[in-house]
Amino acid sequence: MHQTIFHGPPENGLFVAPLDEFTAVYHRASGITHLLTEPAPQILAMLGKGALSLDALLDRLARDYDLTDGTREALAARLDELIESGLIESGLIESEPVERT
Amino acid sequence: MRHAFSVRIGPVGFRIGSDWRAPIAVLDTLYRDYPKPHDDIPDFTVRLFARRPWRRFVRPSVEIGGDFMLPEAAPLPLRQGLLAAEMAMNLQMALGARRHLLLHASAVERDGRALLMTGISGAGKSTLATLLAANGWRFMGDEFALLDTATGLIHAFPRLISLKNEAIAAAEAAWPDARMGPLLRATPKGDIRHMVPDARAIATMDTPATPALLLFPRYGFDAETRPVPPAEAFVRMTQASTNYVALGEAGFRALTGLIADVPCIAIDYPDGASAIEQVEALWAAL
Amino acid sequence: MKGLSANRGIMDDTRPNQYPVNPALAASADGDASVPTRRRVLALGAVTAGAVMSIRPALAQTAGSVLNCEIPVPDASRAGSYIDADGKVVPARTKGAFPSSPRPFKGEEVKRAMANGSTLPGTDSARSRAYVKYIRRLQRGQGGFTCFASLQMPRG
Repeated sequence: MHQTIFHGPPENGLFVAPLDEFTAVYHRASGITHLLTEPAPQILAMLGKGALSLDALLDRLARDYDLTDGTREALAARLDELIESGLIESGLIESEPVERT
Repeated sequence: MRHAFSVRIGPVGFRIGSDWRAPIAVLDTLYRDYPKPHDDIPDFTVRLFARRPWRRFVRPSVEIGGDFMLPEAAPLPLRQGLLAAEMAMNLQMALGARRHLLLHASAVERDGRALLMTGISGAGKSTLATLLAANGWRFMGDEFALLDTATGLIHAFPRLISLKNEAIAAAEAAWPDARMGPLLRATPKGDIRHMVPDARAIATMDTPATPALLLFPRYGFDAETRPVPPAEAFVRMTQASTNYVALGEAGFRALTGLIADVPCIAIDYPDGASAIEQVEALWAAL
Repeated sequence: MKGLSANRGIMDDTRPNQYPVNPALAASADGDASVPTRRRVLALGAVTAGAVMSIRPALAQTAGSVLNCEIPVPDASRAGSYIDADGKVVPARTKGAFPSSPRPFKGEEVKRAMANGSTLPGTDSARSRAYVKYIRRLQRGQGGFTCFASLQMPRG
């Protein structure tokens, strides 16, 4: 069974500078600077620990944060944005992702 | 190139080659008190050339060239050769500078600390800098401030001050003793006249300063000051920097470092006198 | 009156710990690296909202005279080629494609055509559309790119 997983840049692949409600991020691989607002920095941080599927990511975020009315669709939209910006990539795997702790 | 001129402005050395003597003669005169490039080796080379040999004489028009070419830039008539030279120097710096993050900002200094003013043309950064210089501040530059990515210090770049349209008469009245270039009418940017910075600015051009305040001025509004949120200031400065992208990591660190260390304030002002008062109050509150 | 320091408190628990942070900003981060016991609210936002903005800084705004620059169609190295309806450069006399423009367009002319859909001078609407598509596809390093790029950027 195939599943889509998402991964972020490798360790040291980003420089992160929180500014105010926005966070500036320099992506070393592309040389592009992005301005992120929540939940994007938190998603990147989570994915930085290991690749995750959409549902696994939602679970982890719900564990660490109070997601109030956050939906799976909303998270998918955020992931799409991050993919479009080149900050994360998606891939298909055949089994459940190995959880790294 | 038949005619050549070299000059150092702050840390940047230029060599200007020209097919015509006239622009070189003007540069020689206006920059006469400036030093030459370190070790006679320029950082940037600029060429003022005629597209065809006969265009040196017939309706002479100046094309701009150098290490970095903008082949689609339209030429200027020879009588605006000084403007062509200044634009060409701007262009080489903008496209080629690597040691410093170029900020499109004016700068003045007091007690080793720099006040930076940034904004669109007409916002008043150039006029404010010259006004403050006339009020005891050391003039560092009216158009570019150089941020050293290794040290975070601001280096002066006191090139000829480019006055436009109404600002020309105002400057002539305010500084009747200042040395001026020729009045260039009807350039692509309107009427332009160049003013040589004061002797103190030239003499101290190699002394850097620690950035202490970043202002976003707006001329022609009731006096008001308000803080600019860091992210907004950061984005505006990436737009105001001509080599932020080219500098990559160094640029990101330098600019986020600047925003982290320096208060960013928007200042609306109705006239020069008010501006000076507002600036002095902000400086005192640091 | 300080810069960022006053605003950083709320972001501390969101900074990815393994990514190097600008040392200037890390200066006064409090030692609150442990997971807070009371979970902080995180808004995922609406589906249509946006959380990522890529900065596309302006090129050489002060250098050269923006609207005084020119864009050849196509660039000098491919003069004589044709432009197809999608704005791609194709061999001369390709069916359905348009000949290259006899003169370069001024920045001002291209800006106007892109802003209000008017045709570029000396062209009809189909040819103008093809030319505009060509211009939109310009890449860094191609003749006319810096002129085109400077038209895109917000003035100021």
